[in-house]
Formats: sequence, C-alpha cells, structure tokens
Amino acid sequence: MSLGSLIPVGPELLLFTTAVVVILLGAFGARRAAGPLTMVGFVAAFAATFFIPEGAFVFNDQYEQDALAIFAKQLFIGSAAISLLGSMTMTHRAFRDRSAEYHFALAVSVLGMSVLVSARELILLFVGFELMSIPLFLLTGFIKRDPVAPEAALKFFLVGTASSAIIVYGMSFVYGVTGTTTIDAIPQALAAGHPLMMLGMALLLAGIGFKIAAFPFHMWAPDTYEAATTPFVAWLSVAPKAAGFVALIRLFVEGVGEASLFWMPAVSVLAGMTMVIGNLMAIPQQNIKRMLAYSGIAHIGYMLLGLAAFSTSGIAMMLFYLVAYMFGNMGAFLVVETIAQSEKSEGMEAYRGLAQRSPLLALSMLIFLLSLGGIPFVAGFWAKLYIFWAAIERGMYGLVFLGALLTVVALYYYLLVARRMYIEAPDKPEPVPVSAPLRFGILICLVGVVGMGAYPGPWVTLAQRVASTLFS
Amino acid sequence: MGLEAYLTLAAIVFCIGMFGVITRRNTIGILLGIELMLNAVNINLVAFSRYHGDVTGMVFTVFTICITVTEAALGLAIVILLFRIRRTVMADHLDLLKG
Repeated sequence: MSLGSLIPVGPELLLFTTAVVVILLGAFGARRAAGPLTMVGFVAAFAATFFIPEGAFVFNDQYEQDALAIFAKQLFIGSAAISLLGSMTMTHRAFRDRSAEYHFALAVSVLGMSVLVSARELILLFVGFELMSIPLFLLTGFIKRDPVAPEAALKFFLVGTASSAIIVYGMSFVYGVTGTTTIDAIPQALAAGHPLMMLGMALLLAGIGFKIAAFPFHMWAPDTYEAATTPFVAWLSVAPKAAGFVALIRLFVEGVGEASLFWMPAVSVLAGMTMVIGNLMAIPQQNIKRMLAYSGIAHIGYMLLGLAAFSTSGIAMMLFYLVAYMFGNMGAFLVVETIAQSEKSEGMEAYRGLAQRSPLLALSMLIFLLSLGGIPFVAGFWAKLYIFWAAIERGMYGLVFLGALLTVVALYYYLLVARRMYIEAPDKPEPVPVSAPLRFGILICLVGVVGMGAYPGPWVTLAQRVASTLFS
Repeated sequence: MGLEAYLTLAAIVFCIGMFGVITRRNTIGILLGIELMLNAVNINLVAFSRYHGDVTGMVFTVFTICITVTEAALGLAIVILLFRIRRTVMADHLDLLKG
C-alpha cells in the first residue's frame, strides 16, 4: 500500500491525527494550543476534501467517496470550523481547564460523521453513527458543574442510545434477510419486499428519525439546545442532522428506484407532523435557544418533505436546504452567543432595542431569521421554494399547502425577535461588544446566506449533480 | 429449534427493554432497559449468522458488544455526575429543563 492510495481518505486521516495530537497535547499540559490546532486540522481536512478523486473506493470497496460523501464532508467540516470560531471565545473555566477534551470530542465526532457518509457496509455505518453520537453526549454535558448541562446530557444520552438500539435492531433484520452487511444488497431486498426486511427498514427509519429529531422523537432537542454551550449547539443543530439525512439517503434512496416510493406515505406523515409541531411549539418560547430548537425541528420537517419526494430534485433540494439552513441557523446561534456573552442572558428580553445599540449585529440577526423564515432573496427562500417545487412534482399538494401555511406561522415567531430588536427601546445604550472570532463566524454565515440568496444557481447545480449520481 | 424461536426470544427481550425504557422512573433502570434492547440485537445477529452459515453476523455482534460497553460506561458516568450535583437519579426530578 503506497502513500498515494491514502489520498482518498485524506480528510479522515487529518481529522484522526488532529484528534490524537490534541488529546496528547492536553495530557502534557499544552491545553491552550488545542483550539487553534483543531482549527488548523479542520481547515486542512476541509482543503483535503477537494483533492479526493470522486467515486474512489477504498478498503476493499467498503468505503466510497462519491459526490454525496464529499459534499457531506465539506458541510460537516465547514460547520465544525464555524462552530470552533464561536467556542474559541468561551471563557468558562471548563474551557480553560479541559479545552483539549472538548476539541478532541469535536474532532472525533466529525470523524464519525465522515465515516458514516462514506460507509458501504452496515457495520461501518453503525460504528460511524456511534463514533458521531458518543462525543455529542459528552460535549452536551461539557460544563459539568452546571446544574442543567448534565441533565440535558442524560436526556440526550438516553434518547440517543435507545435510538441506536433501534437502528441496530433494524440492521440485524436487514442482515438476516440479505445474508450480508453490504448496503448494495438493500435495493434488491427492498424490491422483493420480505416482511422482516420491511420491519428492519421501518426500525431504521424510526431510529434515524430520533437522531434527526423528527416528530415524535424530537423531545430531546430543545432541552439539549438550551443547556449545552451555544457554539456547540450551532453545530449540533446542523451537522448530525445532515449525517442522519445522508444515512437515510444511503439506505432508502440510493439505487432503490421505484421501490422507495413504498416509504413515501410514512416519510410524508413524518414530515407533516414535524413541521406542525416544530412551528407551533416555537411560538410561546421565551428562551431564544429553545425557540431556535423548535424552529430547527420545523426545518427538519421541510427537509423530510424533500426526502419524501424520493426524486432527484427532491434530494437535490434537500441538500440545498441543508446548506441554507446551516448558514442561517449557525449565524443565528453565533449572534445568540454574542448576546449571551455580553448580557449573560439567553432570554428574548436581551434583544430589546438591539438595533439602536449595535445596528450591524441586529441587521445580521434579522437577515438570519428572515432566511430561516423564508423571505425572498435570502438563502432560505430559495430553499423552501425548491423543496415545495420538488414536492409538487410528486403531487404532494396538501403537504406543500401545509408547509406554506406554516411558513407564515414561522415568520410570526421570527419577527417577534425582530420586533424586540427594532421597535422596543433598549435597556442600556452601550453597544454589544463582539469578539473577533465571533465577528468572523457571523460574517461567513452572512456571506453564505446573502450569497446563496443572490446567486442560488451554482449551489442548485452542485446539489443536482450530487443527487443525480444517486439515481444513475 | 428453528430460527423463529431465536427471533421471538430476541423480540421479547427487545420489547421488555423498551418497556423498561418507557416506564422506569429511575435512570439506572432506563439504562438497564437500553442494555436489554442492545442484547436482543446480539441474539438476533447470532441467530441469523448461524442460519446463513456466515460469520459476518458474529463480527457485527462483537462490534455491538464493544459499543454497548462504551455507552454503558458513558451513561453511568453521566448518572454519577448528575447525582453529585442534584442528589437524585429519578427521571421525575430532572425537570429544570422544560417548555
């Protein structure tokens, strides 16, 4: 095995190296270096994804770097880097004393996602899933002296492991019917429609539904989001969800063809319920992170709608939506972190009169919220429009109507925040200080949201190219 | 005994585990329920492995066991941490987060 044959797994190797180096440095006392070093590792891994030869198979063809895997990896590593910009500004004692552990867990989780999206094998898929999930539980309870963080970690852990058990129980049936653990055997077995196979796949759908926080498995999300550190939550609300969606695509869509339409009713119901519950529960929230958590659940519903179409355009638009959601949601969470650092509050009242205190910060928050709400000419508008379009192609008029109606509801609670920022008078006059890394992170998200809104074309082309490889 | 017997046993164990996860108020009890669910998976995998005469299922079992152990370790660590801070392991008392 020559060194050149490792190029296709370059990002994974870099992530692994980063994790090992960071935890070793931490053990020898160089904790300060952990953050910058992880950042360097992530940037290098992100760059390395552009050198992967597309369609490369490694490790006895059990590991595939196709267009979808590369796309997903760029999303994971990119969002982790943005989250890192936020966590660099954390001044809590835990970040001073155990910085190496935090960054180690983050890097390992990204590694797990990267493995997950490339796996052509059920065992590897499951190991990837766990490698992704276990550090997430740890990171949720990272501020361990906090009264609520361990509670959130425990809730997240119990839901997460129970869902893992359901996923692996489903996998055992898939293995039982196909007699092999390669994913390539699934389309044929799905077409044959053995009852045990259907049971297995239904369990997989339910288990992954837990991970992406779809209704009725969404209850862990608001608690976890409220208690965990905000930069981590910004990433948690995007990357693991994206990984779950890619796993769903791998199992239910790739190569399956018309047989996947069998799942359309189930996924449609899931999508509809998730949109309704997410949007309605977001309205009364007084903590902005809980509000964003429920709105995030609603967005998962919209993405499930794209998946429910089970078509090239449906999957493509779901991927587009993921990127738009990443920029909008992470941006909003970074602003929340900025406000929390200066006001020591995550309540809605902290946003009172923000436009008079820090006009630029308020404007960025407004743009992020409008993008999440789907107002024209920011990223989220195109994302919603394209998703509805793909759903209409499959004749899902009822769900599209419901989704459009709920967009108005969503605008209501997003604009509640805007009203506090723009109409209400501030409690104090001085501007909110924004530290340099946070400013940079917010700027990246802003460029993403506005750029995708002004020029959605290149992103659509990319998403369509990625999705079309799944149906050939 | 045929494959069905093993699958039924696994299904019963899985359901007992899930029942425990849903009804238990003690978080240690919930953890035990999750362990039962994961062990039902192992029964399933080994039964299928024997049925197909294929070792892959047993390899899968080894992986599941390792991951189960990791999860149990982490879960107990979180429960201990929580007990130190809140002096309770009952799920009903964990109500600082809601809404």
